[in-house]
Amino acid sequence: MSNRVIKKSIIRNEDPQILTGQAQYLDDIEFPGMVHAAFKRSDFAHARILSIDVSEARKRPGVIGVYTSADFGDYIKPGPLQVPPPTAIKGATFQIRTTMPIAIQKVRYSGEPVAIVIAESRYIAEDALDDIYIDFEPLDVVVDLEKALEKGSPLVHEDTESNLAANVKQERGNYAEAAAKADVVVKRKISVDRVAGAALENRGMIVLWDEKTQNMTIWCGTQSPIGLRNATATRLGLFEDQVHVITPFTGGGFGPKILTSLPDDVLITYLAMKLNLPIKWYEDRRENFLSTTSERDQVHFCELALTKDGVILGFKDVFYHNSGAYNPYMMTVPLNTQSHTISNYRVPSFYTEVNMVFTNEMIVTPVRGAGRPQGVFVMERMMDMAAKELKMDPVEIRMKNLLQPHEIPLYTGIIGQDFVEGVLDSGDFPTALNKAIEMVDYKKFRAEIQPKLRAEGKHVGIGICTFTEGTAVGPYEGAKITVGSNGKVNVATGISSQGQGHYTVFAQIVAEQLSVDVKDIKVITGDTAHFSWGCGTFASRGAAVAGTAIHFAAVKVREKIFKLASKLLEAPEEELELSNGVVRVADIPSKSITLGDLAVWANPMRGVMEPGMEPGLEAVAYYGPPYGATGAGCMVMIVDVDPETMAVKIERLVMVHDCGTPINPMLVEGQIHGGVQLGIGNAFYEKIHYDETGQLLTASFMDYLFPQATDMPPKIELGHIETLTPLNPLGIKGVGEAGAIPTPAVFNQAIEDALQDSRFELLESNLSPSKLFTYFQKAKGS
Amino acid sequence: MKLEGEHLFNGPRETVWDMFYDPEVLASAVPGMDKLDLVAENTYEGLMNVRIGPVSGKFSGKLTLSDIVAPESLTLTVDGRGAPGFAKGVGRVKFEEADGKTLMKYEGDLNIGGALASVGQRMIDSVAKSMIRTAFETLDNTLGARLAAKSTGAAVDFKPPTQTEFASSVAKDMFGGFTKMPEFRLLLYIIPVVTALVIFAVVLKNCGG
Repeated sequence: MSNRVIKKSIIRNEDPQILTGQAQYLDDIEFPGMVHAAFKRSDFAHARILSIDVSEARKRPGVIGVYTSADFGDYIKPGPLQVPPPTAIKGATFQIRTTMPIAIQKVRYSGEPVAIVIAESRYIAEDALDDIYIDFEPLDVVVDLEKALEKGSPLVHEDTESNLAANVKQERGNYAEAAAKADVVVKRKISVDRVAGAALENRGMIVLWDEKTQNMTIWCGTQSPIGLRNATATRLGLFEDQVHVITPFTGGGFGPKILTSLPDDVLITYLAMKLNLPIKWYEDRRENFLSTTSERDQVHFCELALTKDGVILGFKDVFYHNSGAYNPYMMTVPLNTQSHTISNYRVPSFYTEVNMVFTNEMIVTPVRGAGRPQGVFVMERMMDMAAKELKMDPVEIRMKNLLQPHEIPLYTGIIGQDFVEGVLDSGDFPTALNKAIEMVDYKKFRAEIQPKLRAEGKHVGIGICTFTEGTAVGPYEGAKITVGSNGKVNVATGISSQGQGHYTVFAQIVAEQLSVDVKDIKVITGDTAHFSWGCGTFASRGAAVAGTAIHFAAVKVREKIFKLASKLLEAPEEELELSNGVVRVADIPSKSITLGDLAVWANPMRGVMEPGMEPGLEAVAYYGPPYGATGAGCMVMIVDVDPETMAVKIERLVMVHDCGTPINPMLVEGQIHGGVQLGIGNAFYEKIHYDETGQLLTASFMDYLFPQATDMPPKIELGHIETLTPLNPLGIKGVGEAGAIPTPAVFNQAIEDALQDSRFELLESNLSPSKLFTYFQKAKGS
Repeated sequence: MKLEGEHLFNGPRETVWDMFYDPEVLASAVPGMDKLDLVAENTYEGLMNVRIGPVSGKFSGKLTLSDIVAPESLTLTVDGRGAPGFAKGVGRVKFEEADGKTLMKYEGDLNIGGALASVGQRMIDSVAKSMIRTAFETLDNTLGARLAAKSTGAAVDFKPPTQTEFASSVAKDMFGGFTKMPEFRLLLYIIPVVTALVIFAVVLKNCGG
């Protein structure tokens, strides 16, 4: 059956509402009597709290209450783990220190909440923050990853023996043997620095407790509504269905909004119950930088062992990962790094070891890419260093080592964030590389265009990298589909939406089965009263996992439609056809029934129902994959560098991508565009900078730079390959993070090629014109 | 951040030293300082209004003098906290005689935190330099007044610059730098030339009809 609606670029269901200002975002919601919360946050990165004086703040007119840890008593304890510990990985050692909802005797990062003010308006609440006086005794600060593990380093958590949050070693093959046999062993130190999710809309929530019905409603732009509901219910001793989480339209997630059991949801829910008042809390941009998790900070010590012909024998990577002050997200990010380092190359021996380190900085949890960019960055840079040493073209060395289609599926021997062995389940990596080379006309660029531009005095370079992206991981998602008496279809699933187009993509999947117009399919996401099971939107899994559950539910509803219609129209199922919302007997068009009428007929209000029959045209289905599906691709960039100002202009950006079946190609491209912009930012503009005393120096967009429209390439040229994953019937893979993963590696390679000085090696990410200038001068001088 | 530099005072070392030891003089030298009280030997407590770019607020702090070798050198330790953040620093100051004048050399470390660091950090360098420059100007004038008073026997009465006066002096610093740029001078020539050309063109057009 060929696709009617799937693989069509249908314009979005949600756009008319959003674009005409009818969509409800968190800040649009107001209640009579609603009060506002503000957090008093620590300026110091590491200090003992000697005393907190809130007396002046409590006196301020309009202040309803000021609370410190003393006011909450036993309710304050370290939060639950957000992900399970990696007991699946043999030999992993770890210490669990989860997020404190409010500081008790000590603060461990700049921005950690020490008190909370509830007041009649946000203005009064913030003024009251200035009335709070905290006597801190500053302690020595831990910010350097290697020094943090040395004997005698100050301890972020005094009840631990060291700042080592975890150590995980994974190996396949035997690297030591591989290195002994190798002709060449390339060694480098490579680092990637912190970036923020920096969604357009900051974090916030509104909590409403109804004393009469004993029900709580939480509005929050969360990536995990079920997670938020369950954590809140457990903490407050309520049934899960006494807590109703509603995710309004949300201006972007990008990772940090997946977290629950943070100071905000722990304290505000408690106070909403205690005060019996609706409470609203909403960050401004500075608070977002100080209180929202960020990611990437890693330092890698790598060794790549090859033959003199450039064939890889082994790769060794020992790296340090900054966990921040607490580790509620355990090892997800570095496990992603470990499982994406080798990506699509043939590496018989691979040894990877991560040391996760507690520091006095913000907690690290996934930001779009979630550890994968670091793995790919490290591998691609080492390939380039090897190519330089062996005098090979960067494309040539990659082609030589890429896994061929007949080697797929490949069990990688490395456990990833879903705690099972990673599998490259499908993919055609050489075709992706060749297609990218063809699209950018690589041979002509090298032979004619680049030499000509260089002769004119221009510094033009090209970079090309390949990557894989583990997507669509478990555990599961679910969906419920109901045909209404109006003949339209209602779809509900447990994940939430952040603007990626779920309201359209999920409708397309249903429309394909039920032959109803995409516009007549209403999708509800992120409302725990409509669907009560699920995990969340992360790891590029929404379309593939929730989408597949929706597909299964739609298939069940279709079966019910035919079964019931067959009874009603007194014709065998094989003679029925379903189109445009009507079921009819093939040769007798007058014998038909609309889906709406069939839905009413399916719910008898009197009489007797057949045993085994379920009422309505409704079905629930769940789907959980055994492991993630492998997205992959190749990115090429041509840059023009001004050697005096080190301004970089991206002349061309080409990306070939494989996400299996693209349900809506236009939205796939949108996801890639967004990821590419974030990737360019990570490569050249963005950096969360903590100084040596743990102070955050980039807490506004004055200092935390984004690539703007003028910094982007004139267009992003996309090519597509489809290798369907065998893991779900539609063959869908995720694509949400793809654009962000290879970009810094490609960028650095292109700049090195542009500046053409073999002494010049860009072994770190988060560059800037001034950094480039400094490094280039240093290389020339040496 | 590191701070270091030197300044030549127009007076003998003893007078300069006494001036530094006077809390009213110290308070007057720092723009925005509301009060500075001696609370124990060589220990002062003070209140200050701070404004750096978009960050402003009240600071309360302690200033301790130590390692005192009169009239040669001393160490100042500052520990200030307030709504806009905190500032902790240590500064070492030396006074050398130079032909009846005094050469003051200083070097120090200042740690800034909170909003001052996260939002104000790009301005801190220039604001710190301006504050130091204004402080020295005030101290120069105080010294002059004191030396004059010594010779005439009159009482010393000197008012420190207010917040607005300081702000305008910072602006003047920044703009002054601008006016020194060669491009600025070029603009001064280009603007009248362009204006003349435009007028000429308009006149021509009207004449041509």
